[in-house]
Amino acid sequence: MSLGTRDILNKGRLLSGTSACPGCPENITMRLVSTALGKDAVFIVVAGCSSIIQGIGPNSVYNYPVLNIAFAAGPSAASGMARAFKMRGKKVKPVVWAGDGGTADIGFASLSGAAERNENILYICVDNEAYMNTGGHRSGSTPLGAKTPTTPAGKKENKKDLPLIMIAHHVPYVATASVGYPHDLMNKIAKAKDKDGFSYVQVLCPDPYGWLFDPSKTAELGKLAVQTCYWPLIEYNEGKLEISPESLHCLDIRTRKPVKEFLKMQGRYRNVPDETVKELEDYIDKMWIRFKELYEGKISI
Amino acid sequence: MMSKVITGNEAVALGVKLSRVKVTGIYPITPQTYIIEELSEMKAKGELEAEIVRVESEHSAMAATFGAAVSGVRAYTATASQGLLYMHEMIWWVAGSRMPIVMTVGTRAVGAPWNIWNEHTDFMTERDSGWLMAFASTPQEAMDLTIQAFKITEDERVFLPMMVGMDGFILSHTKTRVYVPSQEEVDEFLPLRKQPYVLDPEDPVSMGNLFQPIDYMKFRESIHLAQINSKRVIEEIGKEYEKKINVLGNYSSLNESYKLDDADYAIVTMGAWSLDAMQAIDELRNEGLKVGLYRIRYVRPWDEEDIRKKLSNKDKVLVFDRSISFGRGGHLYLELKSTLPDIPIKGVISGLGGVSVGKDEMKFLIKKFAESNQVNEWFYPSEVEKVELRDPRHIK
Repeated sequence: MSLGTRDILNKGRLLSGTSACPGCPENITMRLVSTALGKDAVFIVVAGCSSIIQGIGPNSVYNYPVLNIAFAAGPSAASGMARAFKMRGKKVKPVVWAGDGGTADIGFASLSGAAERNENILYICVDNEAYMNTGGHRSGSTPLGAKTPTTPAGKKENKKDLPLIMIAHHVPYVATASVGYPHDLMNKIAKAKDKDGFSYVQVLCPDPYGWLFDPSKTAELGKLAVQTCYWPLIEYNEGKLEISPESLHCLDIRTRKPVKEFLKMQGRYRNVPDETVKELEDYIDKMWIRFKELYEGKISI
Repeated sequence: MMSKVITGNEAVALGVKLSRVKVTGIYPITPQTYIIEELSEMKAKGELEAEIVRVESEHSAMAATFGAAVSGVRAYTATASQGLLYMHEMIWWVAGSRMPIVMTVGTRAVGAPWNIWNEHTDFMTERDSGWLMAFASTPQEAMDLTIQAFKITEDERVFLPMMVGMDGFILSHTKTRVYVPSQEEVDEFLPLRKQPYVLDPEDPVSMGNLFQPIDYMKFRESIHLAQINSKRVIEEIGKEYEKKINVLGNYSSLNESYKLDDADYAIVTMGAWSLDAMQAIDELRNEGLKVGLYRIRYVRPWDEEDIRKKLSNKDKVLVFDRSISFGRGGHLYLELKSTLPDIPIKGVISGLGGVSVGKDEMKFLIKKFAESNQVNEWFYPSEVEKVELRDPRHIK
């Protein structure tokens, strides 16, 4: 990858020698995010792979302050921190780092509460679409049809629409990103950090072990998800929805790559029935109709 | 020092304000006491310089308080009953991090079935979490222990959180005279916050990481030792509090005794009904029965040495419990029995779910115990010796 990021990344705040699996998207994302954030940030790492990636204590590869904490407690602990830093007159951004299980399921009440109070925190959801740390079990963010150890016949429900749900909280900033587009991701994180209030960024993290693909293909899958319009790159900034340049082609159904190209690279979609693929395509079409109308100002949230 | 007629809730809220708490995470629903309303009121009037995080659950209340504490400020919260159980996970997280935090528990029964009244089971179920646990018997003591708790938890020999219990409604909602210290007196007593580590980008530390089994076990041992060492710290700080703030108080020991030295029989209590017990003892002494009281003020640390010293020469001991470990007995009874293996000890469980036990019931029980040893483990006041329960087994 020669996108001009290599030099910047080597100065980042993630040290070498992490305990991540080969091809781990969270590891890549953490490197990008920590570089984009600079130093005035404190991480609150919610139970998940990232509690392990940092290595075994007392050593840590995360070269910034980290509070590791129980599953549902991230946003509320960050709220307390933001208030404490305010009382101490310090400009420090608490950044919650949570997986999709911690976000869509067990931690959702706490996330919604912090958003409603517009706490001065940044919440990053690293969405690998399952509980990957303990074996890839289905979460509220697992897509329709995906096979997991707890849905061996394929998940029967669609993915929870977290970005839209967060937009509906009317917070200053909501964005989606993909590990396949590092510049876009870093720009969004930098923007989110500067907001005086609650911001939310959800990063699609294709996971070689849960999605069953070759670990060298993480970034490729991250790109394909966007190119096939399975994963939208959007930005909701101070009440206005923007479609990121990488996703603008999705506004027209004729310029999208077929979703099947994204699905066929993954073991979790092996032998998935055609009708399930059709259902997933319908879901994606509907999602884009909604985003288009929001983008064109025909509807508002 | 000035005296005011206030409730336990108001007394605690004043103690929190005087301790210059900087952040409090609060969740309001019904098991909560109105300490948090008092604090909100003080904040609205500009009397309290603190951030109040009005969160969406007790789990979050403890998490927000924890987040504030690790970021370097004095942090406080309050809860009770179901709320305490709901924050159980975070209670362990705080103690495991050796983070000074103070919490009030206005003790109440736990459902099912629903019951909002007083009981100590909620409080007692947290005794293995690593928190220091004090229990007040008056609103005065609830306030005094709260102010002391900040100093105790922030002592480097301790660095553990502390909860202060008080009987729901009986102390939390009833007005009585309380001596309230001045801000200057509390400032003189309570220094600036100290804590083991602070999360700050200027000195990046990582907390709560994954640790190897041997290191994890060493952390556990360090909490155990800090609990044991905290006894001396509590006595020291209690004495200082007596001298600097409440000259009428008696905080130089963890637990308290009443007419115990020359007593043949001893009873053991905790919380508000200890005062009923003292009245019962006065009257029984007039009738010639030499009985005395040992009042537990600290459940953790457990003052094994003092309990042995004060109670091992008694003929027998009766322990009153307002809580129950099902299938075993009252929590205090079990603790006392393991502390004094050679003394005949009996336990009586009563007052659960707000059942009213006063001076006369105590007198009746103590007399029966002293004379015949015939005391039922479960005591129901009034004429009803046995309450028929329509439990599921009786449904055909």
